[in-house]
Formats: sequence, structure tokens, C-alpha cells
Amino acid sequence: MRKRRSLLLCIAVIAIVGSIWSYMLITAPPQGTLDQRVHDVASQLKCLVCQGESVADSPATLSQQMRALIRQQLQSGKSEQEVIQYFVSRYGDRILWSPPWQGFTLLAWFVPIGLLLAGVLLLFFILRNWQTQANIKTREHGAVEPEEMDAGELAQYRQQLEKELAADDPIFARPRTEAN
Amino acid sequence: MGIEIFFLMMLVTVSSPFVRLPVPLPDGVGLNPLLMDPGMLVHPPMLLMGYMSFSVPFAFAVAAMVTGKLDSEWLRAIRRWTLAAWSIQTLGLVLGAWWAYHVLGWGGYWGWDPVENAALLPWLTATAFLHSTMVQERRGMLKVWNLGLVITSFALSIFGTFEVRSGIISSVHSFAYSNIGSYFLVFLGIVIVFCTGLFIYRLPKLRPEQEFDSVISREGSFLLNNLLLVGITFATLWGTLFPLISNAVRHQTLTVGPPFYDQVNGPLFIVLILAMGIGPLLAWRRTSTRALRRNLGIPALAAAACAAVLPLAGIHDVWANVAFAICSFTAGAILYEIWRGVHVRHRHGEPYPVALYMLFERYRQRYGGYLVHLGLVMLAVGVIGSQFFQVQQDASLTPGHEMNIAGYKLVYFGNVDTKYSDGEIMTAQLQVWRDGELQQYIYPGIQYYAKFANQPVNLIPITTYGLTDLYVVFESWNGLSEARIRVFVNPLVSLVWLGGLVMLLGGITCWWPGRRKRRAVFTETGVGQKPEAERVGVGPQAANNEEAAT
Repeated sequence: MRKRRSLLLCIAVIAIVGSIWSYMLITAPPQGTLDQRVHDVASQLKCLVCQGESVADSPATLSQQMRALIRQQLQSGKSEQEVIQYFVSRYGDRILWSPPWQGFTLLAWFVPIGLLLAGVLLLFFILRNWQTQANIKTREHGAVEPEEMDAGELAQYRQQLEKELAADDPIFARPRTEAN
Repeated sequence: MGIEIFFLMMLVTVSSPFVRLPVPLPDGVGLNPLLMDPGMLVHPPMLLMGYMSFSVPFAFAVAAMVTGKLDSEWLRAIRRWTLAAWSIQTLGLVLGAWWAYHVLGWGGYWGWDPVENAALLPWLTATAFLHSTMVQERRGMLKVWNLGLVITSFALSIFGTFEVRSGIISSVHSFAYSNIGSYFLVFLGIVIVFCTGLFIYRLPKLRPEQEFDSVISREGSFLLNNLLLVGITFATLWGTLFPLISNAVRHQTLTVGPPFYDQVNGPLFIVLILAMGIGPLLAWRRTSTRALRRNLGIPALAAAACAAVLPLAGIHDVWANVAFAICSFTAGAILYEIWRGVHVRHRHGEPYPVALYMLFERYRQRYGGYLVHLGLVMLAVGVIGSQFFQVQQDASLTPGHEMNIAGYKLVYFGNVDTKYSDGEIMTAQLQVWRDGELQQYIYPGIQYYAKFANQPVNLIPITTYGLTDLYVVFESWNGLSEARIRVFVNPLVSLVWLGGLVMLLGGITCWWPGRRKRRAVFTETGVGQKPEAERVGVGPQAANNEEAAT
């Protein structure tokens, strides 16, 4: 009965969140305001007269002019990608704030992503290997430890554990251990 | 033991002066005006101190490898030292971000600049190490990996100092050029070759003592944590070095800027935060799915509530909402864990505040760790908020003119010029209005130094309303009656600093010594005063509860 109730709760929560999200996705404007789009484009471009700043962040005059140009071009109906392409055709790849997704510079993106995926795979295989080894061992040795222990030993362990816990924190102290 | 101490002394005396050297020594015309700020005064020494502190765990690791005493004895010492280095490095990073935010005037605090990356790299590997040592401590596994992480942290520290000093990579931090860089490169090479050799030599002694039981266990979650942290480390290092590689291979200059790191590291960090919520709920060796499902209920509800409320509150950015939901999941998981611990203690007669205190006091490592996690979640929320919802606007104003941005209204009155013996400050006079009410006057300024005429410094007023910052930069002026200003509204930025502080606090909680001493004091004076009723009936039930909470 409880299990069923929690299942129902789960479904209800998913339904509510799902409907809110689909509403959000439907009503959300497909692209931001002009200011936002200018900022998006400008933050993809590097300020050529600054040390380590994007066109969006830089206060330099050149960047101000470039921002004005971006605004103008977006207003005239160009897409963001086209505006970036325009600047690349004038200044070359060095104006891009992150390496382009083509040719040699794809390496910049693919090496870390590839290695991470390789890491996931490696981890997966290592874990599987360990686990099968552990399983084989368990099977070879038969029963697991707890059953090998007799009741007296278990009581002894429990007593020791309680003593240690009590020494660690008085909240675990119980009258019996006090008496000992 | 003798060899160990000898080696320790030698490494500390030989290596730490190396790391300590590059503290900038100003001379000649005086300090660059950008650097005349208390934040600047503190953060580089902090970071270099952090770098240097990594040499201690490194020395321990090398000593252990040389002597062949590779049991868990050295591990505890190393852990404490790494934790100290980690805390210092955390403070340095947060202070550096704070300085950048208050002084540089681009409305941000972290730019994935090569030097910033260099400071982050050892922090990341040290974080990985602090987690994976727990596996070694409890289960005697991952020895090779842990040693590797210690050595990597140290090597990355050296790399960091090398990078700052050599100027091989263009960075906003390139204040000084000198030929000191090549020494570091040679030193770095020696460290790597030496350690790899030693490592291979000692490999047979580093066999795991126990077997792995189940993927869904605390060990498994630590492995995932390590994979993610090392992944982020590698991506960051790769991005930092890629311009050099590209230049060498293709003679092509290019930049790897924040968009790259945001896209590669951003999702990894979010997964890391999710793992941070689930990991601590898993038990060592293996976890029953039922217990896990029970523990996940509350955090999942927190995430669902967040995911439902945010769109209704008008936040429509999908990725931001996903990230916020994950953050609230993890925050929910951590707070629920703390609450359960407090609740158990409360049931045995401790009032809530005392129970909370005792929880942190008794299980410092564990709850200190939760505090760090909580701080990181706060920091993440701050980063997400300011990353996704920053609003920025430029305006050219004449007296009486106003500009509106994100619910704020700024009214401009004019400029004031003040002359000093060593320079001049031009400030713009502005009023801040919000909801039809005058909030306050602000005076963004530009400070000119006579000795650095071409390097004016921004004086940036940052006014905080709730958790949102209004950040006004005075860009340029024309006479006394025209100003060009640039205004940023940065939501949730305060959480970045607050989160950093909480992380530091957590780090100190874990690190704080004297547990044994305190216990002695407690047995002398404390036990007698405890009311008898508290001890009655506490027995195995309490132990069971605590075990369940573990």
C-alpha cells in the first residue's frame, strides 16, 4: 500500500513538473532580445587590443565600435553565425574567443571530451573486472563471513563496538557498559 | 623513520624556496596601479602559499616511496597537510575572484585566464585526492592512484608558478617577465621523471588490500568523483596549453577563451554537483536500492519543487533551470543528512542547537565535508545566476538624463574632478532609484596616477540589493557634463563569496586539530555533569540510528 502511494506521488510530481516545463518551452521566445543577442555574439569574439577580454567585456573603443556593428548587422536580419563569420572573414580565426569547430582546432574540443569518454569506459571495464573477480572469490570461498561467526564471537564484537562508540561519544554510553 | 625525516627536511628546504620565489617584488616606478588594492595584496601570496603547501604532501609521498613504507601510516599525515593546502588554495582562489570583480571592471570574477586556470588545477587534483584517500583509508584500495594524485598536484603547482613567471601564455596576469621560467621548467621535468621512476619501482608494493564489491557504493561514487575532477583538470590544462600546441604545430595563433571552458567544464561541474548529492547517501561496499530510494526521496522532492517554481516565477532558461534543480537536489540531500543527524541526537535529550554543534564537533570530518559541499552548491548557484542572468547596458549620459536597467533607474548629475599630489580622480555623480524610491547616491570613478598616465584604474561602486549586485563602471568622460557608463546587474553574485566562505569554514572544520585533547577534557569534567536520564535507554537503538544515518 505504501509502495503504491509513493509511486503515485512520484507520477504526480513528474506530471506537474513536466507540464510546467512543456508550457515554459512552448511559451518561451525562440531567441532573446536584441541586447542579449548582441551580447551573445560579442562574447564569442576576442578583443584584439586587450589582454584576455572578449568584445562583450572590453571597454576599448574598438570593442565599442564592434558592438555597434554587431547590433547593426543583427538588426538588418543577419543570423548570429553570419555576423561571427563576417568578423572571421575580416580578421581571421584569431578573433574567435574559442577555437572553431573545424579542422585542426577540433582537437581542442575532442581530446578532452574523447579522453573523458575513454575514462568512463575504462572505469566501467575496471569495475566490471573487479566485481566479477569479487564474485568468483565469494563463490569459491562459499559462505560469507557473518555466518562463519558463532554467537559468542558476535556478542564479543558487539560489546567491543559499543565500548568504542561510548568512548567516542557519551551519547552511545549505555548502563551495561558503564557497569563493566 | 630517520630517512623519512631527512627526506622531508631536504625536500621542504630544497623545494619550497623554489616555490616561494616568485612573489612579485615591486621596484622602480612603484606598484602597477591595478595591483594597489587590498585584494591584490592578499590573494597572490595566498595562492603561492597554497602551491607551496602542496610540497609537504608531496614530500611525504616521495618519502614513503623511497623508504618503501607504503602502509596507511603516511596517509593520515598527508591528508591533513593536503587539507591545509586545499583550504589555503580555496581562500586564494576566492580572494582572487573577489579582487577581479572589484577592480577589473568587466562585471565578472572568473575569466578562465591561463593563470587562473593554473591556480585551479592543483586545487582540482587535491580535491580528487582528498576524496580518494578516504577509499584507501577505509578499504586499502587505490594506492597507486592516490600517490599519482599527490605527485600531480605538486607538479601542477610548479607548472602554475612556471606559467605565471615565464609569460609563455598571454594572460591578464602577465605583470612581470623574467628568465626565471626556464628553471621551473627544468625543475618540473626533474620532478616528473624522478617521481615516475620511483613510482614504477614501487609499483609491486602498492597492491590493493581489498576487493571491490559493488558499483553502487561509496567507493564507486568516489571513483566517479575522481573521474570528473580529473576530467575537468585535463580539459582545463588542455585548453590552457592548446594555443601553444597550435602555434607549434600550425603556426596559428588562436585563443581558447571562456566559451570553451563554459561548454566543456560547465556540464562536468553540474554532473559533479549531482554526484555530490548522491555519493554521500551511498554506504561503503554496497548499498541496497531500497535504502537508497528512501534516502533520495527528500532531495528529489526539493529538486522537483525547484523545477516547478522557477518557470512559474518567470525564469525560462532551460539549462539554468536544470542546473538550479540539480543544485537544490544536492542542497536538499546535504541538509537532510545534517537534519537526520541532529534529529537523532535531539531524540536523546540534546536541544537542537547543542545537537547541531555536537554533530559537527564529534564527526568533524564528515560534517565538515558536508559544509564544504554546501558551500560549493552555494557557489554554483551564484555562478549559474550571474552567468545566465547577467544584464549589461551601456549609456552616454548628460545631466538630468536617466537610464533604466532591470528594474533600476540611474539618474546622472555631472562629473567631479579631484586632484591629488600623485594623480587625479574623476567621478560621476549618480542616483539609484528602485520601485520609485531613491536608494542611494553612487560615485563611479576613474583614478589616474601621474606615474602611470596610460593606466587609469576604475573605482567601481557595487551596491548589493538582496543577493543582486548593481555594478557601475565609469568608462569615459567629456568635460564635467557628459559620462559614458556601463552598468551590470549581476544576480546572486553574493552567493559566490558566501559559498567560498562556507567552503573555507568546512575545510577548517575538517582540519581542526585537538579532538583527542578535547575528549580528555570531556572525560574529566563533562561526563559527571551529564544528567543520568540522557544515558538511559540510549544503547543499541541509538547506534542503529547512527548507522542508518551513515
